[in-house]
Amino acid sequence: MNSITMNKYKLIIMTDDKQVVLERILQVTRYRGFLINGMNAQVNTGNHVATIELMVSSDRPISLLIDQINKLVDIKSVAIDNNASQLCSA
Amino acid sequence: MTESKPLTGGGLLFKVLEQHGVEHIFGYPGGAIMPIYDALVDSNVQHFLCRHEQGASFSAVGYARASGKVGVCMATSGPGATNLITGLADALADSIPIVAITGQVPTAAMGSDAFQETDIFGLSLACTKHSFQVTDVNDLEKVLHQAFAIALEGRQGPVLVDIPKDIQTAAVEQTFKQVTPLKNKVTLPLADITKALDLLTHAKKPILYVGGGVGMANAIEEVRSFADKTGMPSVSTLKGLGAINPKDENYLGMLGMHGTKAANLAVHDCDLLIAVGARFDDRVTGKLDQFAPDAKVIHFDIDTAEINKRRIADAPILGDLKENLPLLTMSLNIQEWQTQVQQMKDDCAWRYDHPGTAIFAPAVLKEVSDLMPENTCVTTDVGQHQMWAAQHMNFNDPSNFLTSGSMGTMGFGLPAAIGAQISRPHDTVIVVSGDGSIMMNVQELATIKRYQIPVKIILIDNAKLGMVRQWQDLFFDGRLSETDLSDNPDFIMLATAFDIKAKKITEKSEVTAAINEMLDHDGAYLLQVKIDAKDNVWPLVPPNSANNEMMESA
Repeated sequence: MNSITMNKYKLIIMTDDKQVVLERILQVTRYRGFLINGMNAQVNTGNHVATIELMVSSDRPISLLIDQINKLVDIKSVAIDNNASQLCSA
Repeated sequence: MTESKPLTGGGLLFKVLEQHGVEHIFGYPGGAIMPIYDALVDSNVQHFLCRHEQGASFSAVGYARASGKVGVCMATSGPGATNLITGLADALADSIPIVAITGQVPTAAMGSDAFQETDIFGLSLACTKHSFQVTDVNDLEKVLHQAFAIALEGRQGPVLVDIPKDIQTAAVEQTFKQVTPLKNKVTLPLADITKALDLLTHAKKPILYVGGGVGMANAIEEVRSFADKTGMPSVSTLKGLGAINPKDENYLGMLGMHGTKAANLAVHDCDLLIAVGARFDDRVTGKLDQFAPDAKVIHFDIDTAEINKRRIADAPILGDLKENLPLLTMSLNIQEWQTQVQQMKDDCAWRYDHPGTAIFAPAVLKEVSDLMPENTCVTTDVGQHQMWAAQHMNFNDPSNFLTSGSMGTMGFGLPAAIGAQISRPHDTVIVVSGDGSIMMNVQELATIKRYQIPVKIILIDNAKLGMVRQWQDLFFDGRLSETDLSDNPDFIMLATAFDIKAKKITEKSEVTAAINEMLDHDGAYLLQVKIDAKDNVWPLVPPNSANNEMMESA
């Protein structure tokens, strides 16, 4: 059986703390073909900016997901944590 | 002396709509949006009562596409809101600016499974560019301004604003605060055209691949000028039709699954593909790894996410096409390629000498195209008639050909035509529909009757779901499954019931007179055109095939 090369990535997403922003990110992530392996989220109540760490895996290039999350209106930035990203086979 | 009523959330909605120049909206009232409909009575906005919320959403889409303005629709909570979803998904897929207003149950009742409560805010995530739910009336004004800004900014799209009933009735003051314009958070680099210039300079067989983004970028003039000055052969997507002057000698027509043979062969052979506002959609490319296999790609787009999504660009150019494309203009030495492409075009020209007395739909649509007034707006539904319209009708602007491109939504044509006619009352509007599609939103004939909307309906009738039947014949061993519509209603009686003049034709000899009668008629008109149920759309790129492997007959 052919194995699919799954790449694992960690994204650091900065976003305005707005309605359903987390749901929007999760919906886009699923729809664009990425599995969610883990997530941490915190809100800075001072500036109302949330920081979301999203661990995902897929055989698709991560740039496709970054570009789509970046299009969401409330997102301030999306960066990939290269130190936490790796290749694996599934 | 009577005191003026205090402003409510519902009243504020219409004040903001008026600020944005909204003159017409499409909708359907219901329990959770009654305060808004009450406020409508005091507003200057003209409301068109559609007969189904899906009709309202498609009329808003047609209005937006025909006029270049934001289309506005509204519906009540629950089923009213969910009925808007298909129109919103269609608008998202085709990048159409829409603001949809939905009523919601009062905030105190939200989450209690109240009557006609549904989580439209949650449902909107996958079918809008953005959405809001207003939980404080003091946020309403800002949210509405943001909705219009988001709908129009960058790659356009639909925005939904869900307003609970208590927010609609709450007292509020209009602040007239300026809303900070949105900034694209993805910093677009200054167009680096060095690589693109190098590719173009060395290209011997370039093709300009024109998509729907050209019209939306208001870059038709720039694209035509580029095509003219470079002399480069051009092809168009379904949504790009009208961007290139159809009389341009180097224009090859639509490419893709039902594109012209010349367009597909030229793209297959080209060594440089310049994509302008196009996104390498699967209906365009056929088998992706065999699409323009020897071509380098220069890709102009406003949307970062479209670059390298389906085809890696050798020279991506992000940003405003109107500004960037002229930077690439140069004269080219491609006479040999032009001659070769012209030969393909001549060899593959459409033929209308269909034998027998039966009506040949492509010939009808070609004749309508030749006879219709300049600047006529044509809408279509989805299926065989849609592809025949795209192949055989000519348009001088993308806003004159409204079709559900990406979603392929049956039921689009009739309500979209209503919206188009309301936005452009002095232009002729024609719906090209099929006997399957028209039944999807047939209730909108009542909207035509109510407002005396003079749209012309050409109903291509084969008593089949023709495109599905064609595929069942070709790719499912002729095993016909649920595609027979021989029990259709009497369409002439149906139209007559809505005071719409109607005529049925069954033979070729009747076509010209019938088209002229339809076009000369002052009001709405339905022309039922009976065709052979076995007629197919050709050429056809079979599934999982390259575009140069077109079928031209069964």
